[in-house]
Amino acid sequence: MIKIRSTKVIGLLLVMVMLLSLVAGCGGGDSKTTTVEEIKIGNIIPLSGSAAPLGKIGQEARDMAVEEINAAGGIKSMGGAQIKMLYADSKGDPATGVSEAERLITLEEVALLTGTYQSGVAMPSTEVAERYGIPFVVPVPSEDAITERGFKNVFRLAEKTSWRNRDQVTFIKEMAEKFNTPVKTVALIYENTAWGQGAVRAWEKYIPEAGLEIVLKEPYPSNSSDLTPVVLKAKNLNPDIIMMVSYVSDAALLTNTFAEHKVMPKAYIGTSGGFADPAYFELTGDNCEYYFDIATWEPDVNRPFSADVNKAFKEKYGYSMNAEAVKAYTAMYVIADALERAGSTDPEALRKALSETNITEGPSQMYASEVVFDETGQMVNAPLVISQMRKVDGKMERVSVWPEEEARPGMEIVWPYPGVGK
Amino acid sequence: MDSLSVIVNGISMGAIYGLIALGLTLIFGIMKIINFAHGALLMLSMMCSYWTWKYTGINPYLLIIMIAPVMFVIGYSTERFFIKPVLDAQKDVREPIAVLLLTAAFAIVLENLSLMLFGADYVMAKTTVTDATIAFGGVTLSAARFYALIIALVISGGFYLFLQYTELGRKLRSCGQDRNTASLMGIDVPKTFAIAFGIGTALLAVAAITLLPFYYVHPTVGNVFMTKAFIVVVLGGLGSVPGALLGGIIIGLIESIGAQYMTATLTTVIVYAIFLLILFIKPSGLFGSRLEW
Repeated sequence: MIKIRSTKVIGLLLVMVMLLSLVAGCGGGDSKTTTVEEIKIGNIIPLSGSAAPLGKIGQEARDMAVEEINAAGGIKSMGGAQIKMLYADSKGDPATGVSEAERLITLEEVALLTGTYQSGVAMPSTEVAERYGIPFVVPVPSEDAITERGFKNVFRLAEKTSWRNRDQVTFIKEMAEKFNTPVKTVALIYENTAWGQGAVRAWEKYIPEAGLEIVLKEPYPSNSSDLTPVVLKAKNLNPDIIMMVSYVSDAALLTNTFAEHKVMPKAYIGTSGGFADPAYFELTGDNCEYYFDIATWEPDVNRPFSADVNKAFKEKYGYSMNAEAVKAYTAMYVIADALERAGSTDPEALRKALSETNITEGPSQMYASEVVFDETGQMVNAPLVISQMRKVDGKMERVSVWPEEEARPGMEIVWPYPGVGK
Repeated sequence: MDSLSVIVNGISMGAIYGLIALGLTLIFGIMKIINFAHGALLMLSMMCSYWTWKYTGINPYLLIIMIAPVMFVIGYSTERFFIKPVLDAQKDVREPIAVLLLTAAFAIVLENLSLMLFGADYVMAKTTVTDATIAFGGVTLSAARFYALIIALVISGGFYLFLQYTELGRKLRSCGQDRNTASLMGIDVPKTFAIAFGIGTALLAVAAITLLPFYYVHPTVGNVFMTKAFIVVVLGGLGSVPGALLGGIIIGLIESIGAQYMTATLTTVIVYAIFLLILFIKPSGLFGSRLEW
C-alpha cells in the first residue's frame, strides 16, 4: 500500500514540476519582448573536483568584471540592464557539462553561455549550445578542434594549443638572429600522454618549417623514478635547443638533472604546465635560472590595464590573477560589448554582434590589443608571451621578455644559456 | 657516447631500488605477506624525514639514526595491532587474502592522511648535498646518488650478515622457513613477525633518506617506487637479500642503458616484459629458493 502511495506522490510532484517549469518558461518569453532589467548569463566551470581551485579563481575574475560593468551602468542600449551570472558546476566532467548546458538553456533561459575550463568539457558543452542556437563564449580551453567544427555560435578567446608551439619556434628564430647565434638542432622531451603528443605534432610542423632539425624526440612517463637516462641522452646529442612539455614533478627532475650534468644548450624552453606551477621554483631553486616558458599572460607583462586590474584583483581576493583568470575577466567585457551592440538578448542578434566584435580599447587590453573573431569564431591574434626565469632581488621570478614591446622594462634577455649560477 | 656515466647512473639508481625492495623481500620472505603498504610507508618515511630536516636543518644522513628507529616502532606497532589480529583470525585459511587487502587499505589511509596533513604540494629538501656533484675519470654523478650507492651497499651487506650470523637473524630465518616448526623449537613467532615488519619498515626509512636530497616528496611518491620494488623482488627472488640488491641494479641498468637506444617510454615496457618473462621462466627469481614454490 505504502509503495503505491509513494509512487503516486512522486508522479504528482513530477506533474507539478512540469507545470511550474512551463509557467516559468512563459514568463521568460514575455520578458524578452519588454525591456530587460536583468541579463542572465550561464557559466559552466569546475567548482568541485581536482580543478576546483582553478574554477574558483575563474569565478572570482568574472564576478569582478561583472561588478565593474554593472556599477558603470550596465548595458546602456538595454536601459541599463544588469548582468546576472548563473554558475553551474561542471565537476570537470564532460557529461555534467552537457547536462548543465542543457539546464541553463532550457530552464534558466540564459541569453548566452560562457566558461568551461577543460577542453574535454568545452567540446560537448558547446555542441549543446550550437544545437539550441545560443552563443557560447569560450575563454580558456585551448584544444585546436573547438573552433574547427564549423560551429556558428562558438567564440573562443583563448589561443589554440598549437599556437604556443608556433610562437616558441618564432621566438627561437628571432633570438638566434638577434644574438647572432646560429641555431640548427632541437631536442623535444615531453611527457607521453595526449598533452605531450599534441605538442609534438605541432612542433613537427613548425620546427622543420623554420629550417631547424629535430634531433631527438623523447617521450617519457611523467611518474618516472629517474630521468637521468633521458638527460644523458640529450647531453650526448648536444642540441642547440631543448624544448619540454612536463608536469611539475618531472619538470623539476629534468631541470635539476640537467644542472647536475651541466648540459649546455643555447636555450631551455618549457611549455607552461609544470614550468608555470608555483611549486616549480621551490623544487628547482636556482637550477631553473634562465629557462624560458610560454604563457598568455604574466603579472609583469607590459600591457595597458594589466597592472591596475591585477592590483584590484589582489586587493579583493588576496592573490594575483593567473592567465586563465585574465581570459575569464576579459571575456565578460567582450560579452558586455556584444550585448551593448546587439541591444537585445535575441540569440541571433547576439551571435551577429559577437561575430562583428572589434575591440581595441578598454580593460580587454590587458589580454590583447585587438579582440577580433574570424569566421570560425576563433580569436584572431590571441597573444602569447615568453618569460624567462630570473633572479630579481635574490628571488626567482618569471620575467616577461618577449615580444619585446610587452617585455618588463629594464630586463634584458639572457641568451644563450650561460649555465647554472652564472 | 658518455657510456660510463650511463652505467654508473644505472648502478646508483638500481642500488636505491634494491634498498627499497629489501624491506619488501624481508617481510615477504619471513611472514609470507605481500605488503601493499610498502610504497605508502616509504612516502611516510620521506615525509617524516623532510619535515624533520625542514625544522632542524641537520645533515640528511644524520636523520637515519632518528627516523629509522621511529619507523621501526611504527612498523612494529602496525604488525602488532593491525596485521597480527587478521593473521590470527585467518590462521586456518589456506590462502589468507585478508592481510593483503589490509595492507592495501593501510596504504590508502596513509596516502590520504598525508594529503590532509601536508597538502598536495610537491616539496623537496634542498640540502647541502643536493646540487653537489662528484666527477671522477670523466664521469659525473650527483653526490647524493653516490652516497645512496654506498649506503645501499653497506646496509644490504650488513643486513645480510645480520640475518646469517646473529641469533635474531637465525630466528627470523627459521620463522620464514617454517613458522610451526620454529614455534615448536621455542621461538616466539608473533614477536619475531613484529620485529621483521619493524626492520622492514626501518630499512625503508634508510631508503627514504637516500632519496631525500634529490627527489621530490609528495603523498603519491610511494607509487613511483612501489611497482619497481615488486619487480625487483620477483627478479631477485622472493626473500633473498642479495637478490634484492642485484635485481635492483639490473633494473637500474636496463632503464639507464636502454634509454640510450630507445625512448624512455619503451624502457618501462621492457622492464615489465622482463618481469613477465621471469615469472614465466623462473618464478623463484635469480636467488629465490626453488623449494619455496
